[in-house]
Amino acid sequence: MTALLEIQQVVKSFGGVRAVDGAAFEVAAGSITALIGPNGAGKSTLFNCVAGSLRPDAGRIVFAGRRIDRLPTHRIARAGLVRTFQSARALARMTVLDNLLLASIGHPGERLSGLLLRPRAARAHERALRERARELLDLVGLQAHADAYAGTLSGGQRKLLDLARVLMLEPTLVLLDEPMAGVSPRLRVELLDHILALRRERGITFLIIEHDLDFVMQAAEKIVVMNEGRVIAQGDPASVQGDQAVVDAYLGTAAVHEQPAPA
Amino acid sequence: MSTLASAGFWEFVGVVAGIYTILALGLQLQFGFAGLLNFGQVAFMAIGAYTMAILVVKEGWSTWLAAPLGVAAAAVGGLVLGLPTLRLRSDYFAIVTIAFSEIVRYVAMNEDALTGGSQGTIALGPVGQAAQYNGQWAQFQHRMQAWLGLPSADATMLVIVWLAALALLASAWAVLRTPWGRVLRSIREDEDAAASLGKNAFAYKLQALALGAALAGVAGLFYAWQFSYFSPDDFAPLLTFFAWMIVLLGGLGRVFAVPVGAVVFGFIFAGTRFLGFAPFSWFASDQRAYLRLIIIGLVILALVVLRPQGLLGKREEMVLE
Repeated sequence: MTALLEIQQVVKSFGGVRAVDGAAFEVAAGSITALIGPNGAGKSTLFNCVAGSLRPDAGRIVFAGRRIDRLPTHRIARAGLVRTFQSARALARMTVLDNLLLASIGHPGERLSGLLLRPRAARAHERALRERARELLDLVGLQAHADAYAGTLSGGQRKLLDLARVLMLEPTLVLLDEPMAGVSPRLRVELLDHILALRRERGITFLIIEHDLDFVMQAAEKIVVMNEGRVIAQGDPASVQGDQAVVDAYLGTAAVHEQPAPA
Repeated sequence: MSTLASAGFWEFVGVVAGIYTILALGLQLQFGFAGLLNFGQVAFMAIGAYTMAILVVKEGWSTWLAAPLGVAAAAVGGLVLGLPTLRLRSDYFAIVTIAFSEIVRYVAMNEDALTGGSQGTIALGPVGQAAQYNGQWAQFQHRMQAWLGLPSADATMLVIVWLAALALLASAWAVLRTPWGRVLRSIREDEDAAASLGKNAFAYKLQALALGAALAGVAGLFYAWQFSYFSPDDFAPLLTFFAWMIVLLGGLGRVFAVPVGAVVFGFIFAGTRFLGFAPFSWFASDQRAYLRLIIIGLVILALVVLRPQGLLGKREEMVLE
């Protein structure tokens, strides 16, 4: 499989702290890749670099053959690489439907010039967009909430809204930042099913930060483990699970906990 | 009390409320829809008024050519302010806007050759000759008065200002309910989330700032025509805060809350001068002029406690996160 996303020796420091310290890995097209590691490993910082919220100090990030580490977030999103946030960013004082309608690229009605010069194209685009939004609301089961303020949704429902909103953009790569955090067990199953179905039916590639290891083992075919800003292991779930460096990173190194052997 | 019954006085109050409506509509667009903390709105009003007056007096332009140029200059002022500063975090942006507004006022005060300095527009022309920039406007107003059969110039101004205000309100309402307005609201809610959905937040904020500035420019024109001459002190920061009070009184994120806020504000503000009874009569009349600021402040305080969404705002929007 070809690499859709290439992280090449990315470095990002804050003051004296190298939050990401030469991380490198690839995400294969059509795969579900999980990024795991203890707190402070640099996962979210790396995500922010990929999505364009932060600019790496060194290294390259290549998406679909194009270097993106110098592009602003909105340009990266338009290229087909879209992220969700750790705490789902529902736009609280807008309706659920408006949240979805927002996710459209090249909408002539979103430009003042388009509204004036191409009003008919703007209306047609808006009609098609509404239809698509209704479909996606049906898909994630939020159709009954279409006209409610997004701020009235539960945490789990916001994650579903976030996912549906990302799908509106027809992305090729989706970055999910802890999709399972704060989600009820019932919705977790639903969310996992959605992700698997989207990969299967639409060929969407996923890169997922997640602490829920059950979910990671079930969903991902490749796991990348980070610690202290570096990638310390990568591979299929079975091989990563047995990797000594990974066990050390999560549990502390053996030396620290070593007890003198009984005589 | 004679003035209480005088139609002329209330017509004047109504004209000022109409001008404030246009000024505050710009702020509603900037803050209520795009989330921009602009504390320098009055600067754009000054730019609009001064540009028009200077072009008419010094360059001999027609009022009808100078007026749109005044509005355009205000919009350009918004771009000039926004380009370097809109990337700042919102609270830093707020500080820059208030500084900008004072810079504009101080330039108007000290560039005597351009603006007439602290004496105001009366000194725009040659020395010893009172300058006039609103001759053409007065003619237009007379014709309108005859055509509409209105009793006074003030009544005519009232009709013209409010017709303009209603047209601008309706246009703003129509534009803000399009997908363009939806993007603005998303930026107000969460700029990072909007960017992650492919929106160029900076470009939208810049447009909102410039359009709001253009509206302030229109308010500046009417202000200039109403008062026949003006000076830099007319554009002190207090006026920006009047516009803020109007927006907060009416309710955030609602276009037609602006005229409601402006009328309520205008009448409280003007009405306090009729407080001729105790305890207000203990104060001299010039002191009572300051009393009304205190009263407006108390009204805002009461509003924040009892009805934080403003007169027309939606309460449920205030509690969502």
